[in-house]
Amino acid sequence: MKVITNGRETGKKETGCALCGGTWGSYYEDVEDQSMFFCCDLCAKAFINTVNEVKKRTGWDHLDQLELKGNYYTGRTCVARREGKEYKFYVKFNDEADIETFREL
Amino acid sequence: MSICPVCRFRSNNWGDVASHIHDMTSRSDPPHVMWLNRNLSSREVSSQELAGTLEDYFSLKGGLSSWIRGKVIEKIYGERPHPFILAMQKPNRAVLLGYVIEHRHFLRNWIRVLSMIVYKTDKDDVARYELENISQEFLGNGSPPHYELLIRMGESLGLTRDEIMSYDPLPSTSSSIKVWRNIAETRSWVETMASMHSMELIADKSLRNYGSKMHYFNPSILTDQDYPDAVKKFLAEGYNADEYHAWKALELVEKYSQELGVVEDVQVSFLRSLDALSKYLMARLERAMEFDPNLIKFVEAVT
Ligand SMILES: [Zn+2]
Repeated sequence: MKVITNGRETGKKETGCALCGGTWGSYYEDVEDQSMFFCCDLCAKAFINTVNEVKKRTGWDHLDQLELKGNYYTGRTCVARREGKEYKFYVKFNDEADIETFREL
Repeated sequence: MSICPVCRFRSNNWGDVASHIHDMTSRSDPPHVMWLNRNLSSREVSSQELAGTLEDYFSLKGGLSSWIRGKVIEKIYGERPHPFILAMQKPNRAVLLGYVIEHRHFLRNWIRVLSMIVYKTDKDDVARYELENISQEFLGNGSPPHYELLIRMGESLGLTRDEIMSYDPLPSTSSSIKVWRNIAETRSWVETMASMHSMELIADKSLRNYGSKMHYFNPSILTDQDYPDAVKKFLAEGYNADEYHAWKALELVEKYSQELGVVEDVQVSFLRSLDALSKYLMARLERAMEFDPNLIKFVEAVT
């Protein structure tokens, strides 16, 4: 899956955390059989929760691309893509990285 | 003294603090990583560079209260102003209702936390200042208190008093209130005072003289026929309030934090409060979306 965070491709140590874009830290987690870089376990948890929620709502078994815009304070508006289809949503997490708000756009 | 803004590790130089933070981030410790991402930079730098950045970030060139004002402007009114502030430039009914419903909980907590300052301080000027503030917010001095004006604003927008009172706070509001209560319960009264009264600065119209691009709300609302009188009354109260008000509190903070030797602690607690404030302001918009789902498009456009 290709991840774009606030306009930049992310998911590797050099490019930044797949959720927030930060390059601090060194936390890795497998997402859809792909090792992805996160700055901390909370960002990883939030990201995986988001991917799972999108799959649950769309019925997709895989995401080709996930684009995220926003931050911790504002929440994030996102576009998930799969084989030419688009799914737009807004997501916000609580302090434990669980999904607090999820709205389809 | 140099201080870690997350766990308050102390040293007499920033080099030690930077090494400590670097060490914590190499272990991906969430609070340290998040603090850097939200306050300094999301780009990793060397320990050496971090030491310089931290020193610069915490240095008090024009005194503590100016430093606080600068951080408030940076975070809330900076390059990307907070979405709630942008929404307040021309708020619709939903935005104002979101404000009313969440702010009721904020104001109740405000009074409780100020009482903790009164309880903990042995300074008469501080106790007097806070008692006056509490009575103005909750009892009013001859005129309706701020709390009452807020409820009336909600009523003028079509909710009954009972309806307004029936809402529990959103999780983001509760989480922020928890931060402020935790500061009041575990930190000194000076830190609590800085944490609470620095928040009043966001509505201070003189911020525009110090680099803020906009006011808390567009002042033309106050004469706009499209807004009910109760809305104008509530907003005008804040707008016309003596802007010296928050400054008086910060002057007391500046004086006593030096006297008690807790300047760095005050800086750190204030930053925690500012973080909670940004989060809380968004809760108002989230609540507003329940009345106007289209607001999500606005949030999407401004983030
Ligand atoms: Zn992150």
